[in-house]
Amino acid sequence: MKLLKPTWVNHNGKPIFSVDIHPDGTKFATGGQGQDSGKVVIWNMSPVLQEDDEKDENIPKMLCQMDNHLACVNCVRWSNSGMYLASGGDDKLIMVWKRATYIGPSTVFGSSGKLANVEQWRCVSILRSHSGDVMDVAWSPHDAWLASCSVDNTVVIWNAVKFPEILATLRGHSGLVKGLTWDPVGKYIASQADDRSLKVWRTLDWQLETSITKPFDECGGTTHVLRLSWSPDGHYLVSAHAMNNSGPTAQIIEREGWKTNMDFVGHRKAVTVVKFNPKIFKKKQKNGSSAKPSCPYCCCAVGSKDRSLSVWLTCLKRPLVVIHELFDKSIMDISWTLNGLGILVCSMDGSVAFLDFSQDELGDPLSDEEKSRIHQSTYGKSLAIMTEAQLSTAVIENPEMLKYQRRQQQQQMDQKSVSSRETGSATSMAGVVNGESLEDIRKNLLKKQVETRTADGRRRITPLCIAQLDTGDFSTAFFNSIPLSGSLAGTMLSSHSSSQLLPVDSNTPNSFGPSKPSTEPVATASTRPVGDSVSKDSVNATSTPAASSPAVLTTPSKIEPMKAFDSRFTERSKATPGAPALTSATAASVERLKEQNLVKELRPRDLLDSSSDSDEKIHVTKSSSLSKRKLELEVETVEKKKKGRPRKDSRLMSVSLSVQSPAALTTEKDAVCLSVPAPTLKLPIPGPQRAFTLQVSSDPSMYIEVENEVMTVGGVKLSRLKCNREGKEWETVLTSRILTAAGSCDVICVACEKRMLSVFSACGRRLLPPILLPSPISTLHCTGSYVMALTAAATLSVWDVHRQMVVVKEESLHSILAGSDMTVSQILLTQHGIPVMNLSDGKAYCFSPSLSTWNLVSDKQDSLAQCADFRSSLPPQDAMLCSGPLAIVQGRASTSGRQAARLFSVPHVVQQETTLAFLENQVAAALTLQSSHEYRHWLLLYARYLVNEGFEYRLREICNDLLGPVHYSTGSQWESTVVGLRKRELLKELLPVIGQNLRFQRLFTECQEQLDILRDK
Amino acid sequence: MAKVSVLNVAVLENPSPFHSPFRFEISFECSEALADDLQWKIIYVGSAESEEFDQVLDSVLVGPVPAGRHMFVFQADAPNPALIPESDAVGVTVVLLTCTYLGQEFLRVGYYVNNEYPDPELRENPPPKPDFSQLQRNILASSPRVTRFHISWDGPPEPQGSPEPALGCAAAAKGLGLPGYVPGLLAENSMDCL
Repeated sequence: MKLLKPTWVNHNGKPIFSVDIHPDGTKFATGGQGQDSGKVVIWNMSPVLQEDDEKDENIPKMLCQMDNHLACVNCVRWSNSGMYLASGGDDKLIMVWKRATYIGPSTVFGSSGKLANVEQWRCVSILRSHSGDVMDVAWSPHDAWLASCSVDNTVVIWNAVKFPEILATLRGHSGLVKGLTWDPVGKYIASQADDRSLKVWRTLDWQLETSITKPFDECGGTTHVLRLSWSPDGHYLVSAHAMNNSGPTAQIIEREGWKTNMDFVGHRKAVTVVKFNPKIFKKKQKNGSSAKPSCPYCCCAVGSKDRSLSVWLTCLKRPLVVIHELFDKSIMDISWTLNGLGILVCSMDGSVAFLDFSQDELGDPLSDEEKSRIHQSTYGKSLAIMTEAQLSTAVIENPEMLKYQRRQQQQQMDQKSVSSRETGSATSMAGVVNGESLEDIRKNLLKKQVETRTADGRRRITPLCIAQLDTGDFSTAFFNSIPLSGSLAGTMLSSHSSSQLLPVDSNTPNSFGPSKPSTEPVATASTRPVGDSVSKDSVNATSTPAASSPAVLTTPSKIEPMKAFDSRFTERSKATPGAPALTSATAASVERLKEQNLVKELRPRDLLDSSSDSDEKIHVTKSSSLSKRKLELEVETVEKKKKGRPRKDSRLMSVSLSVQSPAALTTEKDAVCLSVPAPTLKLPIPGPQRAFTLQVSSDPSMYIEVENEVMTVGGVKLSRLKCNREGKEWETVLTSRILTAAGSCDVICVACEKRMLSVFSACGRRLLPPILLPSPISTLHCTGSYVMALTAAATLSVWDVHRQMVVVKEESLHSILAGSDMTVSQILLTQHGIPVMNLSDGKAYCFSPSLSTWNLVSDKQDSLAQCADFRSSLPPQDAMLCSGPLAIVQGRASTSGRQAARLFSVPHVVQQETTLAFLENQVAAALTLQSSHEYRHWLLLYARYLVNEGFEYRLREICNDLLGPVHYSTGSQWESTVVGLRKRELLKELLPVIGQNLRFQRLFTECQEQLDILRDK
Repeated sequence: MAKVSVLNVAVLENPSPFHSPFRFEISFECSEALADDLQWKIIYVGSAESEEFDQVLDSVLVGPVPAGRHMFVFQADAPNPALIPESDAVGVTVVLLTCTYLGQEFLRVGYYVNNEYPDPELRENPPPKPDFSQLQRNILASSPRVTRFHISWDGPPEPQGSPEPALGCAAAAKGLGLPGYVPGLLAENSMDCL
């Protein structure tokens, strides 16, 4: 074993509370106290591992520091994928960080050093829920959840796929919760608190599995953290501070029956942190020794308030090594490298130590397959994907396939090298905007920048955007092809020069060998002086802080005023006379007050609308009712937003029945919801109103104003319809009162009294003579050139105004509403003129014009959706947010939490079947809704799942359908497109997915060849 | 967490004659699009003794601000010499660059400024009444003092009391002008460069 204290890893003497090594082994994060704030620092690992790198000034040591936390950071943890870093602190916040790739280095402006941030880590989510300091955070295996615990006595489970969604808040502790650990197979999470208990919670229903108190009866709440740990094989849970016969211990809790028969004894003060090595080991087979297979064992590091560290193997009764006096203060956190041979330890004294073991000392680590085999044999199949290693035995039969596999590998390599190169080249990348160098921009900035005057005569500068923030730069590599580059760290470890790492003088070198477990290997105090000498040496290497006080300002007489100035730097200005800020701020706050009043006025109406549950709906109400009064405001904000980010497609605007018309619904007819008595369906009808306004879309800004009976011409009262589209207005008059209106970018339609429906073009031309509806209108809706009318007699019609055709003809809602007191909670008309009804029982039906049937497209209570688990087939996270009518109907509620919760409780076969059924439902629903984008999304996902799970027949059927007949024959019924997508193009997209599983190489070849033939024709 | 962080402030044309305008090239980063404009202000501290002599050289609105990195040049006229006490004209003073959002100051960058006569003769024997046309202004650009304040980015806290329509403006102005009275608006962190 070698020991090193890299002195350059520090927070300027402030305590370091947490340390965590990145899964790829190339960097690590520390968290702790900064200057007046919390601080997270990301460090380069290679200078720790290799002396040459430490001396090389071109190799950065610090990669990034973030002082965004307002108070001390207690915990930093990398996600298992390495994509994210979570940090939690005394400011009650958890921040989730992600690396931004195409923004160059930057410094913290005004901070002392010239230290540039080599990597840019940007906070992508702030998680607020805790009412007290956050003490520990932990990512679940597979990164589906993030757990955090706090001094507010709770543990919060966050949906890591969809921050900041909270899946559960675990209450039950009656003291400060100071440590968390997940079961390696994801079935449990354990927490330890100051209330002298350790609690294990089930991830299935987030309920308490067991509460263990006995070993903690004598404990006092004096440790800052209680970081417990679960062994990688899942068998043991080891607590932090426990007591046995008034001596501090780390309690071992067996998974089987939560028995507490064993503990790690020997530390003189409370144990603050326990951390299992991620690897499972087996004994190194020595030449000549008996080939008796030994039991695999785990390795565990224990840190304590007594400032010493002990490392244990579960096969030994005594610690493998104990290191005393490693720090001046309590040990706070421990992190193992992924290869299991190195540990970083941090302390309250603000320093870290690195320990490096050899395989001779720890044993041979089991490979990932062996480890997952252990998991499988103990807990059932945990991951269904065929691993690459298993595939390596298959023979590649086809050169095309070989080429394809090679290309994939090449891509991965490229991505890796790109990301590694980015560090170096980011500077130059950031230096160029639109082909213009930053220097050029700066030269002309003053001339070029746009300056305007606001209405009140103040200067307003439009800043020049020099870089976009990246929103999603996930690599497009498929989910299951992400390599774990633990081996990289391994080679680095093994190849470093031993001169830097100083061998610890342990009394009995033999004691590391597993053959003599009886000797007690206690390292002497000699480690500390050694550490000190290292620190002295490296002081020279670190740049001495520039001790220059402002030389220009050395006029002695001015020293006193300087002090007076000092306060000015940090105190906020009092009201500076004549500062325009005040007036503007006042105006703003008055404006806000007004708005609040408006909102208040609106509330009662909102309450009436309680039947519907979508947020979107409320937004619609507000904006439409407000729009009249704050038109200008609206337009302005829209403009602003336009420049910011692309707006989502607003053509698909879901409108709820109860809200659809801003005209107050005739509530006296008991119709907040559409309660439908069984025999005759009667939907509420909007009553006449003097005037109302309706916002059709916000981008382009378009709204309709209706004024009923505004003028009288020759005894006839006329009503006026006005439409304003981005400032351009048209108006027309109608002879009867307008009850409700709707519009899209293409058509505007209004329903009047006497069952009349009139349709106008976007520019105000009447397109049809008034349509006479069979019964009074209930709801009117437009999308594109489609107009949908729902009448009070619960019949639904959809017309295509441009083609002057009926799409749905007076279809009764009877079949979907009959027989119960269900109500329609939301109506949607897709771009293809397909009506979708969301019902209050969570089901959604769409009407298929070609089949003349109502089809169930979504069901909130669908158990399939809850059991289905296809995360392994998902492309990187961002892509799964696929928008379209299906997504709107089903809601974005991610089911991943539930899915994952079921992952280990359902037999794998059942899991497969439900997942298949669910995915097939989705594909079919998207098809019926004619949502091409979503169809493609779900089809690809389905295919990927089939590939991963090895379902050949279904896959082949899909491929055959997509391919169609290669030789054209007149009798063929085959359509070359599906919902506007070319089938063969889809197949081309599918091929790389199929090519991932060598088992399907024949299918891959067949399709490839036939596509080639078709192309050549 | 602050939605806006300043990446750099470059002091342009420094040193320069006293009467030439101040020019700061400011680069900042915004983590999510801002609904309102940022307001930047340059305050020239006339005298260390009293804030009475502070001059707001200029204030500009900057917007719209979408997420991303941005830069602009903030130019402001030189301070009015008539408002500077004669005894403080020559020597060291301070210029402050502040940024507020929704009426709340969240950033303050302070620079020492040295006003002196470049002419050695004048330096030896300064005229009894300062000759501003001869003075040179030197901003110690390498050592900004940056102070960040924690503010509410979704809007300032409700002003206390019930603002009557007539007096509402005054009350609100006070509340915003003296943030010390509003709880929770303490310095988020302050950083010295020295």
